[in-house]
Amino acid sequence: MNSKKLNLKIAFTLFLAIFLVALAVTVNTGMAQKNAEEVITAEVAGDAEGTTGEAVEEESVPYVEDEYRNFFGIDGRLVVWIISQLHLMFAAFVLAVPLFVVIIEAIGARTNQIKFDNLAREFTKLLSTAFATTAALGGLLAFALYGLYPGFMRYMTGVFHPYMFVYALCFFGEVFFLYAYYYSWDLLKTGTGKWVHIFLGVMLNLFGTALMMLANSWATFMMAPAGIDMKTGAVLDRTAAFCNFLWMPVNIHRIIANVAFGGFVVGAYAAVKFMGAKTEEDKAHYDWMGYIGNFIGLAAFIPLPFAGYYLGREIYSASPVMGNIMMGGAFSWTFIVQAILIGMLFVGGNYYLWNGMGRIKGAERYTPYIKYINIVIFFCFAVWLTPHNLPLSGEERALIGEQYHPFSKFFGVMAAKNAVVNLLILATFFSFLLYRRANKGETMPFKSHGNGARITMIITVGLTVMYLLWYSAGLKGQDLNETIKPFINPLLTCIKIQIGALIAALILTFANRGKLAQTLLFVVTVSISVIYFWYYGFVVMEKANMILRFLSVTQVSIVISTLIVNTVIDVFLFKNAKEVGGIQWGKIPHRAQYALLLLCVAIVTLMGLMGFIRSGLRMNWHIYGFMQDKSAGAFTPSIAYMGWVVSLIVFLFLALVAVVFWLATLGDKTKKHA
Amino acid sequence: MSKKKNSYSMMMVIVSVLIVFAIIKVIAPYVFMILLAKDHTMPTPSTLLLWYMILAILACLVYVSTSDLKWANFLSFILPAGDDKLKLLFQKMIVISIPLLVGWFVYSGTVPGTASPVELRIQHPTLLQEFEKLENPFAHADEATKRKCIEEGKHLYQQNCRPCHGSKADGNGPFANAFRLRPINFTDPGTIATVVENFAFWRIKEGGPGLPAVSTPWDSAMPAWKDVLTDTQIWKIIMGEYVTAGVQARQREEMEH
Repeated sequence: MNSKKLNLKIAFTLFLAIFLVALAVTVNTGMAQKNAEEVITAEVAGDAEGTTGEAVEEESVPYVEDEYRNFFGIDGRLVVWIISQLHLMFAAFVLAVPLFVVIIEAIGARTNQIKFDNLAREFTKLLSTAFATTAALGGLLAFALYGLYPGFMRYMTGVFHPYMFVYALCFFGEVFFLYAYYYSWDLLKTGTGKWVHIFLGVMLNLFGTALMMLANSWATFMMAPAGIDMKTGAVLDRTAAFCNFLWMPVNIHRIIANVAFGGFVVGAYAAVKFMGAKTEEDKAHYDWMGYIGNFIGLAAFIPLPFAGYYLGREIYSASPVMGNIMMGGAFSWTFIVQAILIGMLFVGGNYYLWNGMGRIKGAERYTPYIKYINIVIFFCFAVWLTPHNLPLSGEERALIGEQYHPFSKFFGVMAAKNAVVNLLILATFFSFLLYRRANKGETMPFKSHGNGARITMIITVGLTVMYLLWYSAGLKGQDLNETIKPFINPLLTCIKIQIGALIAALILTFANRGKLAQTLLFVVTVSISVIYFWYYGFVVMEKANMILRFLSVTQVSIVISTLIVNTVIDVFLFKNAKEVGGIQWGKIPHRAQYALLLLCVAIVTLMGLMGFIRSGLRMNWHIYGFMQDKSAGAFTPSIAYMGWVVSLIVFLFLALVAVVFWLATLGDKTKKHA
Repeated sequence: MSKKKNSYSMMMVIVSVLIVFAIIKVIAPYVFMILLAKDHTMPTPSTLLLWYMILAILACLVYVSTSDLKWANFLSFILPAGDDKLKLLFQKMIVISIPLLVGWFVYSGTVPGTASPVELRIQHPTLLQEFEKLENPFAHADEATKRKCIEEGKHLYQQNCRPCHGSKADGNGPFANAFRLRPINFTDPGTIATVVENFAFWRIKEGGPGLPAVSTPWDSAMPAWKDVLTDTQIWKIIMGEYVTAGVQARQREEMEH
């Protein structure tokens, strides 16, 4: 007991120390800017005095609205940065949790398993307290923006004011459906009432998503303005300003990222509860909850790089210069930090699954594969974080004798990164398949699952094949220069091979050779999307740069088709299969729980970092190419300064979340004691 | 009662890490020398070596802690060896090597040296605003005019750029060896093929002296050509340079939505 208290004290002291140091560094910088501003103001005032004399002080000076203000001496940009990021993190949690809560509740209602319903309810309990914090931070953000950036906000309000009323309406909708959903749980728990309750949850999601999309439009307008005269700022087309070029890519990326974020945060909540649980029952419950959190987090995290790539590509399309700043310029080193965090998420997610296999009887048949998956994942991690430009000493530069070391030349460019991220995703998916089948023994023949299984398989393969055919038709129809058009042909051939593999996998599954079908798909996809496209990426980079963007999408399409078809095969392959032994929930080492905590910290940091990058890409523009940021804080922060601020945000968020979760569970303790 | 077999997983981890170290530090420089037909080895940069070794150690620790049994086996190596002489030998080696390693780190970290500091470098310095919206004046010209410009550009390139960047734009001009950091090889798809033409225009016009502070300390020896060449000549050089190098500039995409 004493040692527990001591640990808590040490943890709190460490937290306080880091918090204070981060605060000191960030506030210092803010104050320095304020001082600089004051010096400039004083100089200007001095000049003015020289011309007009002291009489000016006596006269009533007409009101002139400031363009910029600071927050009690702290730079406005720093204040807005911290508040907006905290608001975004809470909003991500509040928007993501209902997405999977409704799915979990629906699974519970469909399968009549009360544990799913209880889990959904426990997640929702966290939601209701987090929602109030999100709203409070949102209000604070609005005050900060209008108070510190009045000139800029005046213009934004002028462009978007009709949508701001829609935003308020959606907010009311979300509040209504959230509390209706939460408080009607007991009232609508059986029969048709349950499905009415689920409907309330769906409505909550619709309003939440609409809110997010409305706010996204304002942020993306600042990056890729549309519908305005770029010289005068006159609003020409409000709808175009709202549906700007980067709006949909950011919407898609944020929805998926929010789900990953929500999953890992509730996973960490479960880990903390697991480690503090006193009874076997509680341990089993929170172990299961942690598993679900990790599953949701990983399931959303797997398609996230694809959505990220799409967003990145669209940023290049909106402005190649902004794209260059992002990947090869001032922000390139932040992407190395991003690579480390993404690598940590993949390693942490897999590590949790591997440790979880220890509580499944029968998993020992698959544990020998772990070492190979581990090697693949760390190899990919190494390539993923290798920068194109290495930090080198003068001596090293002289010894290498050229701009790029071969490691950075072959690992540091997109052709390599795309290949390894696809391999990382496939390896993690493979890990999950092993985990899924760990306690499964003898399988049932495919035909025993009836016509429903056959139809599902045919539809799944049919849809993926149709998508690939549709994409290859689009590739063929590209209006490209005759010299580079032939470079499309290998992509078309690879798509044809993949379609062949998908059809072969379907036939093999029907012939009760599901495992062989899955192996075939894995082998074909790795050969094409990882090995061949890694090589071909260099060929097109050299000879037909334009093709690289089609190559990446082809690569992603092939990998996704394999993930989808292999999942469906797996579902039927192990449907009604004999169990070797049950899962002993609660029998998982604490190491795995620390992995869940690491995943939470990594995703929160990643969100903080990416928020900085997305916003910082505008450099010294409020609205890129139209309205310049002329405030003292309009500099691009150094990586060290960014690191301190993002760390401070992460600490603040985790501390706030801990308080919010503690408040959410206060009622339970009272009930238990009663 | 059968005797419990000792686990050597800790030794396996140490050996694995040493093998990775040997591959990166010793073997890779020779492999790259042969593969890239160089006349000298390509030593692995210290930063990269450090990163890769951290990952190798982390990978080993992750693997040995994926189950309670593996973790217990890993840690059991520090328990008394009993009759196992081989284990005893390895334990002694570990005990001796730890202070030696610490000593080596302390020595190499404190011994006075003249090594230059490791420097970060940004691949593409931020393009200045006045260059961002520029467009090649010949971008929409007819094919005959473009061909003429390319030929003129090639000629101008050979006159002005060849001494450093080479006649084939491969960074092997007659002066190239005089630079400690060789001129850029434009045929490398990771160089001018990754930027828009405006970027190349800015670099030629302003050269090393025009680089923003963030791009230093990797000072470029590229001269500023703004006082020697006209803007039109620079655009023509860019057109000729890309063709000579056999690569294409990054293209702007059509915004479809």
